[in-house]
Amino acid sequence: MLRFVTTFLLILLALFTLELLAPVQEHVIVPFTAMLARLSAVLILPFDSSVVAYGKILQFKDSGFAVSIEAGCNGVEATIVLIAAICAFPASWRARAIAIALGFLAIQVLNIVRIISLFYLGDWNMEYFSWIHLYLWPALIMLDVLVVFIVYLRYLSTQAKPLETTVG
Amino acid sequence: MRQFLLFVFALLIPCFGLWTVANAPIGLPAIGIAGSLLSNWFPDVVNALSASGPEAILMTEFGEKAGQLIPLSQADYRLGFQINTRVLSYSLPFYTALHFATQRKTYLADYLWGVLILYVLFICGLVCLCLKTLMVNVGAPFFNQAGVFVPNAEVIAISYQFSVLIVPTLAPAILWLSQSKDSPLLQGLFVRTVDR
Repeated sequence: MLRFVTTFLLILLALFTLELLAPVQEHVIVPFTAMLARLSAVLILPFDSSVVAYGKILQFKDSGFAVSIEAGCNGVEATIVLIAAICAFPASWRARAIAIALGFLAIQVLNIVRIISLFYLGDWNMEYFSWIHLYLWPALIMLDVLVVFIVYLRYLSTQAKPLETTVG
Repeated sequence: MRQFLLFVFALLIPCFGLWTVANAPIGLPAIGIAGSLLSNWFPDVVNALSASGPEAILMTEFGEKAGQLIPLSQADYRLGFQINTRVLSYSLPFYTALHFATQRKTYLADYLWGVLILYVLFICGLVCLCLKTLMVNVGAPFFNQAGVFVPNAEVIAISYQFSVLIVPTLAPAILWLSQSKDSPLLQGLFVRTVDR
């Protein structure tokens, strides 16, 4: 457990520092964040034509209320935590790659739900928006990471059992 | 797993509700400790860190006129900055929900240890948050203090980002994993894989 936590924290710190570098922000994080805003707008538009997206901003045409998707709101930090946890754990690289891909998808699906829910919540009530945005949603996203990681551990555990039987 | 998730969702709202009501007294000791640390570390820059409802106010040894920092002796008032301590302390209700949603033999001792560890991280996070506030709002007079060690801007930026974006959600999750590895939910998973 201690070895896992140490490796995990080292990978986490390295990836987190990498994410903060200016070229990574410019070429990866900012375009990815803008893509999330556009994707959110694409998902909302069939149901609500009063929404526009430009850059990393989502806006209601009628009320003028807008949200800007910033660092910390794009699910990248949660993905980094998941990648660090998966890489720190002993498993085949194939299993790790599949877990990272599926985990990334699970985090981003929930993150899109978060962005859309906050967008509507902010248009309705700023006080609730701030509370849920700053405190509740980050906890839910981390819970998502935790669940993905436990499911991955359980998968590894079921894969290991037949091997133990054969060897034993 | 389903039972765990159900209990977490059932506990999250009351835990966050209680924390919202009680976060001013919860933050008081952390504000006191961080304030004492900062005012001793930077006596020419930081006057005090005091509680103001759920927020903290970082009082400096400067005044302000037309957007410019001026010595306190020439100013009409002392410059202070509002610090939102809740962006750090929400780790406590999150951990509480995770902890009590998990079936385990003993609840209280592990929980108190967890809260203690999270509270220490809360104090560290508060110091990082104040350092970032001083870096951004005070700037050169903060970095150019004679005879005082001031971390460089990159270290302050990374420690701030790490303390605010990662630690408040990650620390409860790691604590929960390490304390729950023998619970029915996680039993055997770490033994079979990590320690084999």
